[in-house]
Amino acid sequence: MITALELGLIYAIMALGVYLTFRILNFPDLTVDGSFTSGAATAAILITNGVNPFLATAAAFVVGCLAGLITGLLHTKGNINGLLAGILTMIGLYSINLRIMGGANVPLLGQDTMISALRSVAGVGWTSVLVLAAVAVIFKLVMDWYLHTDNGLALQATGDNEQMIRSFAVSTDRQKITGLMLSNGLVGISGAVVAQHQGFADIGMGIGLILVGLASVIVGQAIFGTRTVFQATLAVVLGAVIYRLAIQLALNVGLNPNDMKLMSAVLVVAALLLPQWKASPSSPAVARGAQR
Amino acid sequence: MLSITSVSKTFFPGTVNERRALVDVDLEMAEGDFVTVIGSNGAGKSTLLNTVAGRIIQDDGVVALDGKDVSRLKEHQRAARVGRVFQDPMAGTAPNLTIEENLSLADRRGKMRGLARGVTKAKRERFAEALTQLELGLEKRLKTKVGLLSGGQRQALSLLMATYSDPRVLLLDEHTAALDPQRAELVTRLTRSVVEEKGLTTLMVTHNMVQALEVGNRLIMMHEGRIILDVDAERKSQMTPEDLLAEFGKLKGAVVDDKTMLQ
Ligand SMILES: Nc1ncnc2c1ncn2[C@@H]1O[C@H](COP(=O)(O)OP(=O)(O)OP(=O)(O)O)[C@@H](O)[C@H]1O
Ligand SMILES: [Mg+2]
Repeated sequence: MITALELGLIYAIMALGVYLTFRILNFPDLTVDGSFTSGAATAAILITNGVNPFLATAAAFVVGCLAGLITGLLHTKGNINGLLAGILTMIGLYSINLRIMGGANVPLLGQDTMISALRSVAGVGWTSVLVLAAVAVIFKLVMDWYLHTDNGLALQATGDNEQMIRSFAVSTDRQKITGLMLSNGLVGISGAVVAQHQGFADIGMGIGLILVGLASVIVGQAIFGTRTVFQATLAVVLGAVIYRLAIQLALNVGLNPNDMKLMSAVLVVAALLLPQWKASPSSPAVARGAQR
Repeated sequence: MLSITSVSKTFFPGTVNERRALVDVDLEMAEGDFVTVIGSNGAGKSTLLNTVAGRIIQDDGVVALDGKDVSRLKEHQRAARVGRVFQDPMAGTAPNLTIEENLSLADRRGKMRGLARGVTKAKRERFAEALTQLELGLEKRLKTKVGLLSGGQRQALSLLMATYSDPRVLLLDEHTAALDPQRAELVTRLTRSVVEEKGLTTLMVTHNMVQALEVGNRLIMMHEGRIILDVDAERKSQMTPEDLLAEFGKLKGAVVDDKTMLQ
């Protein structure tokens, strides 16, 4: 339970990144499967080489941003379909991640990590959960702040009405690239902290992660609403925690861990379909809203 | 101020679908000119505005703003000096952002968009004051999402936003065509007053002959990609909608569509 809560709060940072692309930019970005592992790999290799774990995690942010930059350039300057651009970066990153780690796995046992620092102060319990919750909330608040700056509003408008914001002299290409970089930077941080939490980085740890992100965003927002940005980002954080708890519950009742990916997929499909069934046929706007 | 010189645009050249949307078009506009543009469907009116805005790049010719060739500038770069209102009332605003957020986006036209707060108290007061001119009560609904407004309200807001930061050129493409007569009347009135107040150099496409004659200080008629009639303020003030229809009648193959209103 404690572990599930902790993981949920760490994955919440990733979910905030997915929210930025999927909801704000209206861009389904599959880069995250790769950039999550890139963040984990970067931090793990730096930590094993004696770099301060906080610096190593900051480096994971930078590497995540670079991954987002590549997808952004492919999409905007290369005119490649957004989904495909993300897939291309994701696949390419697989090899790069192996290069970064020098193998398929980097153990962090016995290393000084952010989590070992946390344990030495707070142990494993409600205090450590509280600390991680505070961290997730800080990320959420920073995102709320950013989205209300001039730049953040231009980003929101880029996802909302591209033609309109271009007519107000905003380069939508640049905004999309900014959004993709920030998003994957957050995903990279999340990957770095997850690696430190589980005690290793692994080449497969990002596989299917986009579904975890989408499930967190969609489930959280279905339950907690999206009226304002403040509410929407809170919903994303809570959604990530709920998702982790649901997985934990499924495992506790004896489901096979190998079936978890299928579970995530079914959960996302259900969250996408249910609002459409609830809506009456005379209000197609609701169904469209559910797809956004 | 705005000069369009020998501009041509052909869509799908060399195919069976070839469309000569603009043929060697010349148009010189002085500072503060308010030109109404009429013409049958497919005459090239929207294409003309799109080449000024940079949405469509001409095959030949030069578009110059304030004496500088802007032909190479991208749409968003030209937008620093060019304001637009589209025909679709949904097109000119961001539906999921609030009225004040939309205005703050318009306020930053051509300026740096950094990490300063988008909507501040001081800005909010300015926005509310500007909204009062619309006489739609929107100044009391600053925090309402624009998607919740009616088409007429959104179009009035689009017009306010497009003109808010004083663009050098204002492009209006049938911006009242999708509104009911009352709302169209309101938006037309707002257009006249804002263009006059700010002295904006304006190109306005319309299918309404009455409007084309009443509004602005110059009228051009387009047909098959060419400007075939250019009427100055004096002659325009003496013309009737019937005269314009007669001009249409002279054209081979021009169909006056049912959007053309005479009332
Ligand atoms: N993006 C485009 N691709 C291909 N052809 C186009 C495109 N835009 C315009 N055309 C063609 O160019 C010609 C001029 O179109 P344009 O939209 O400028 O006419 P218009 O005068 O605005 O007509 P309307 O009154 O119907 O709005 C038409 O034949 C049209 O089919
Ligand atoms: Mg048109």
